Amino acid sequence: MIILALDALDLEQVKKYNCKHLLQKEYGKTDLSDFKQPRTVVLWSSFLTGKNMESQIPIKTQWEFKVKPEQTFLKYFEKYKTIDVPAFSHKPSHVKERELLKGYFEEKATVEEFDELVWKIHEENKKEFFEALGKFDLLMGYFNLADSIGHLSFGITEKMAKVYQELDQLAEKIKDADDHILIISDHGMKAIGRYGDHNRNGFYSFNHKMGLNLPKITNFYDLIRRQLEK
Amino acid sequence: MTMNDHLQKLEKMSITLIREAKAQFKNPAVLWSTGKDSTATVWLCKKAFFGKVPFPVVHIDTSYKFPQIYQFRDKIAKEWELNLIVARNEEAIKKGMSPKKGALDCCTALKTEALKNLIEEREFDALIMAIRRDEHGIRAKERQFSPRDENFHWNYKDQPAELWNLYVKPSEDFSHMRVHPILTWTEFNVWEYMKQEKLPVNPLYFAKNGKRYRSLGCMPCTVPVESTASNIDEIVEEIRTSVSPERAGRSQDKEKAYMMQKLRSLGYM
Repeated sequence: MIILALDALDLEQVKKYNCKHLLQKEYGKTDLSDFKQPRTVVLWSSFLTGKNMESQIPIKTQWEFKVKPEQTFLKYFEKYKTIDVPAFSHKPSHVKERELLKGYFEEKATVEEFDELVWKIHEENKKEFFEALGKFDLLMGYFNLADSIGHLSFGITEKMAKVYQELDQLAEKIKDADDHILIISDHGMKAIGRYGDHNRNGFYSFNHKMGLNLPKITNFYDLIRRQLEK
Repeated sequence: MTMNDHLQKLEKMSITLIREAKAQFKNPAVLWSTGKDSTATVWLCKKAFFGKVPFPVVHIDTSYKFPQIYQFRDKIAKEWELNLIVARNEEAIKKGMSPKKGALDCCTALKTEALKNLIEEREFDALIMAIRRDEHGIRAKERQFSPRDENFHWNYKDQPAELWNLYVKPSEDFSHMRVHPILTWTEFNVWEYMKQEKLPVNPLYFAKNGKRYRSLGCMPCTVPVESTASNIDEIVEEIRTSVSPERAGRSQDKEKAYMMQKLRSLGYM
């Protein structure tokens, strides 16, 4: 199984930028109504564990929060690899990314510096992801390009088109790489002028018809387990 | 239509809005920063009521403003016989709130909270403010009569229609109404009007050593722009040909402040 975990991928934007590879046989929005706030770490840890983790993750220390493998659906796979997944294998390079984000608002860093680091992290994750492709029962790769670039530039169409094009190409490259491919986001994004804020339009896309109707992000734990039983 | 006709039309519309605010609300006030927009607005209030502003003129003093702002404020308040109210959040100032603690927190404490306290104390039900739609995107969504709740929240998706220049109070509860008489003016219109009416101009707007302030805020958060315009005629000409945004010298615009607050609440900062 391959899980492409794309932070802030928004269905409306996928359609807007005509990303046909991200739209697999079944796709739609996820239901995030059980969450007070669409927070990244909370949503990914809830996806991994199948439980709403919001009350267990304080905002101030959320980036250090980790779930154990036995709490997650990963335990059902003999051989798995996760790349940069929040609340599990998130990389330290994101600390610098958040520093630059803060620096932008304090006028100590530029958007260009921030974008450069975000793309660098993306390229590193992409390289690691394609090197691991085909070598594991489950490969879960996390890419935060749409979220990070979106926070400072969601209103800039040219930039976001490039981001969505890149993510669509990722989906294209893996389309025949496994029997089960899930592309999923934690939340979507809406414009605040030039900036982008999280919204509740989470996205999912399967390469099989599943017959889901507005699934909750916590439902995927059982769905993944059931796929293995088939 | 000549420019003069256009300014007359804008002035007439603004005066109608100011009179409408006075007629609809028991206790209005006008906000005055001493910048060009609010000075023009206070002048429009004077004209609307034949030379005397019939309600208080509120100046929010963060304590970090330029000395020229205080001097200009006191001089014009006296000359125009304004009922000037200076609002300060003394508690936050005593506790050491400053732009060093973050521009957003500072603005919230020293501007927003100071105004909230004043509204509560003086029971103002309408505030006449000099915002313009062309300043930035978020203001482009504003209406001329714009209701706010007790937390100053503004629901831009649910605003009165203002058809046929009818300005109706919303039926549901609201804390106070914001009235925006120069909402449809542009920066250029304001300077043309200042020139036409021979209004006093804060000296910070005039260039010194190749720089001038195009938008006035607090000293630590406002930087001058490159300019050689040292009088109002030169400013009018500069604005007419300028392609740079008016608030280029302001460190904290509303969208940026909002976004910073949102990212904090999501735990990014």
